[in-house]
Parts: sequence; structure tokens; C-alpha cells
Amino acid sequence: MKVELFHSAGCKQCAATREALRNAAEKAVPGLVWREVDAAMELDYAVDLGVMSLPAVAVDGMLVFSSLPTPVQLGQELLRRASGAVRGR
Amino acid sequence: MLTIGKIAAQAALTTNALRFYEREGLIRPAAKSPSGYRLYGDDTLERVRFIKHAQHCGFTLGEIVELFSLREQKLACCGDVRRLALEKKLQLEARIRTMKAMSKALDALIAGCPDEDRPVDECAILGAMARSLKKATT
Repeated sequence: MKVELFHSAGCKQCAATREALRNAAEKAVPGLVWREVDAAMELDYAVDLGVMSLPAVAVDGMLVFSSLPTPVQLGQELLRRASGAVRGR
Repeated sequence: MLTIGKIAAQAALTTNALRFYEREGLIRPAAKSPSGYRLYGDDTLERVRFIKHAQHCGFTLGEIVELFSLREQKLACCGDVRRLALEKKLQLEARIRTMKAMSKALDALIAGCPDEDRPVDECAILGAMARSLKKATT
């Protein structure tokens, strides 16, 4: 599983929660791939995924949170996906 | 102190536009003249120019209110403004893609209608649009 956090460099809101989100994600699904994407550097990719506001979270190339989730929300969503509840989506 | 007319003239806007900005909370008068006219501080002109430029960059009035409030927050920094600008860029890029797709769809319709002498009820463009409308509603 690959989790991508789209952010804007220098954004305080992004920086404050980044670590907590990463910890929650890695705790929910050990061994996942965590990538932090500066939307300015990968603008086309962000637009491909439908990112319109920042920060946003994509899982396996699909926009899952269009605004910042809490670490609990992210962890629960990843667990749900890991258990196959959204397989084939 | 400046009257609304003076600001409008210097900013190349109508007084109606300025009154609209005022209703939206973007500018506010600093005082009233003895005869009851609203008077604005010198900084209002700078503010109005900022609004015009931000609108030119695609920001809505609501977003401009947010930009102003960031400017007034002591804890806000450039990174917060950069995030808003980047969000606007993402939204504009998405719209450009949609418009390009629309333009491409029109290309196909235009190419499908080479005979301009045909009566309008045989128009290939209108026919194609009617068919796609039917498809969308069934």
C-alpha cells in the first residue's frame, strides 16, 4: 500500500500533523510506502488525482481525503483498506 | 480621507463595485463627513488595488477575505499564503483541463459538420448533441 500526503512547502498546518499522520499510517499498516508530495513540484500528478486543497491524502493513487484527516481517521481508513473492505475500488 | 468617488476614480472601478466590496466585508469606511458621506482611509486604495490583483489571479472575494485575515494574523506566515496560492493553481489547472476537453469535443463536432448549406434540422452538430443528451437521460 502506498500513502501519499500532498502538501505545500512551508505550510504550518501540514508540518504540524505530518509526523502524527505518518505514525498513525505506519501503525495501521506496517510496511506501507509513505510519500510526501510537494504539490508545487508535482502539480500535474496532483491535478490527475483531483487534489484541489492542501493538505490531502491519496492511497494507492486515489484521492481519499481531500482535506486533512486526523491521525485516527487515516489509521481507520487504511485498516479498512488493508482488510480488503474496499478491494476492487 | 477619501470619498468613494475618489477611490473609484483612482482604482479605475465603479462606485457600485466598491459598495459591493464593502458589503462583502473587504473594505470599510473610517469615518463619515459632516454631511453624512462615507470617508475611507488612504490604505483603502492600496486594499482595493490588492483586491483587483487577487481577482485577476483567480481568487474569489471569499478567498480574498481569507488572504486579508491571514495578513492580520500574527501567527500566519508566507507558507500559509503560498498554500492558498497553490490551491488556487490546482483548481485553475483542473479547470483548464476540463475546458481543453470541452474544446476537443467541439473540434469533433465541427469536423463532423463540413456541409454548411444543409438545413438546420439536418445539422450534424445539433443532432450529435441531441443524441448525447438522449444517452445521458436514459
